[in-house]
Amino acid sequence: MATSRGDATDEMLMVRYQRGDREAFAELVRRHKTPIYNFVLRQVRQGNTAEDVTQDVFLRVVQNASEFKHEARFSTWLYTIARNLCVDHLRKQTHRRHPSLDQPVTQNGEDSRPLVDHLADAHPRASVERTAVAGEVAGRIVAAVEKLPDDQREVFLLREVANLPFKEIAEITGVGENTVKSRMRYALDRLQEALSDFEEYARALR
Amino acid sequence: MDCEKFDRIVLDLLYEELDELTSAAARRHMEHCARCRGIGSGLRATRQIGGLPLLEAPSGLEQRILDAERNARAELPLRQRLGRSISVMAGYAMRPQLAMAALLLLMIGSSLLFLRAKPGARESLQVTERGIPESESETVTVVPMPAKARAGEPASEARPGAAERDSKKAELGAGADELERGFAASPPPAAAPAEVEEQKTEKSPTSGLTLDDGNSGDRDYDQGMSDYRARRFGAAQKNFDSVANRGGSNAPMAELFAAQAARNESGCSTAAPRFESINGKHRGTGVGNEALWQAGDCYRAMGDRESARRTFKQLIGVSGYDDRAQRALASLDEEPVADQRKAAKPGAAKAPAPAGGKQQQTQKAVPKAKPPSTGQAQ
Repeated sequence: MATSRGDATDEMLMVRYQRGDREAFAELVRRHKTPIYNFVLRQVRQGNTAEDVTQDVFLRVVQNASEFKHEARFSTWLYTIARNLCVDHLRKQTHRRHPSLDQPVTQNGEDSRPLVDHLADAHPRASVERTAVAGEVAGRIVAAVEKLPDDQREVFLLREVANLPFKEIAEITGVGENTVKSRMRYALDRLQEALSDFEEYARALR
Repeated sequence: MDCEKFDRIVLDLLYEELDELTSAAARRHMEHCARCRGIGSGLRATRQIGGLPLLEAPSGLEQRILDAERNARAELPLRQRLGRSISVMAGYAMRPQLAMAALLLLMIGSSLLFLRAKPGARESLQVTERGIPESESETVTVVPMPAKARAGEPASEARPGAAERDSKKAELGAGADELERGFAASPPPAAAPAEVEEQKTEKSPTSGLTLDDGNSGDRDYDQGMSDYRARRFGAAQKNFDSVANRGGSNAPMAELFAAQAARNESGCSTAAPRFESINGKHRGTGVGNEALWQAGDCYRAMGDRESARRTFKQLIGVSGYDDRAQRALASLDEEPVADQRKAAKPGAAKAPAPAGGKQQQTQKAVPKAKPPSTGQAQ
């Protein structure tokens, strides 16, 4: 009995796309466009650029579809592509300007709200009473993440945004698993330090 | 579990990547270790607060990606598209069902190699016997050749029925002209090598009779021919005598062959009276004329010039023998008697010779004799 597209794993969908099933590719885009976009956005820090890079990521998938091996994990392959494109982009920007939290995030020119507002709205546990606190926390988080060294930020985003296990992150970044965990530990320590003022808020969330 | 090990697994515990046993051990350690408990709770709180919220991807992004995919596929080089098609086909080919089907076909195909054709499945079997080359020392042999074979028809087509064979034999005995063509008393004068080779393949070892001579219905006659070809002249003579005594259409030819076999087996002293006797019985026929010629030849070989001259003179004016007889008469005065006697010894004509061999033998025995001017017709 054939597996429907919704139940199929990423790898099965990719195999179907290799055989010419374009709808399988559309399903892969639907599944991964948001985490990829966020991963790229935290790296390049510009909405329009993140959108372009995200499109390039999937375009690379199309162009290199025949090279995908069935035994490999699709997410590992996808985030490896995304990471490489981000590294290339950041390398090209010798004098990149980090967007301010107050700088409007433009998405196709439709949205001009500050990034903190996006973060506050998107937080699943935010409530009306906590909106102000959540907004401040989100701002602190984003700022703390931006201040992270590249290697730590990369691991943090792959773990928190892409929700990849440490083993896959090690594969993507090309370092050992213990190194990945060490970087993650440093990243969390820095975030903990940055968010120390909100311990009470954290207890309230528990 | 100690604190050092807890530090190594704390992240796995935080992200729930530990197995049940290790996870329970870590929790038990946290219960009685304030340091590790603090580390664990602090990281958990940070993760809860610091979890980055996901921004929704722009609404048009998915469509842009799908459009770009369509364009990219259209721009893919032929090599990649071909590779993709091959990949698709290979994917189907690797399915177990197809692999089993291929294995089954392979087994069936290989088993066909071991199947044999049933005996008798073929409609006919044709066996061709080639002539046996003869040595140059062999003498001239007189053998009949069927009319159809003379006309150059294939041996298989020249195989007549019994009635047809009888009519041919009657024909052979009726006129000298027919016999001229049926007997190869003299070698072809200027036969090309290719022609000689052709004659070898068409005729029996006796150079004048094809393998299918139309007498295969008579077992003794056939056996006689077989013995003659195998140079078992004694046995051949016996078989031919048996046919001659029994009578019938083959009897005249059998008598002639018997006399020829006697010449080869015992020499001209035995054969000459037999040839004379045949001529007496079949005077004026082809067989009789041929027997007369052979008798004269025997007398000449024995050095009995008078008898030879007498015999050859009887052939003057006989169609097909006139020229030969005149040449023989002319040569009688020139041939050394010693050579004649030497050639008349038994065994000197043990085996019949092919056309080429016959010519050489004739030239050797009769050095001054002119070669015959005609082929088998002489």
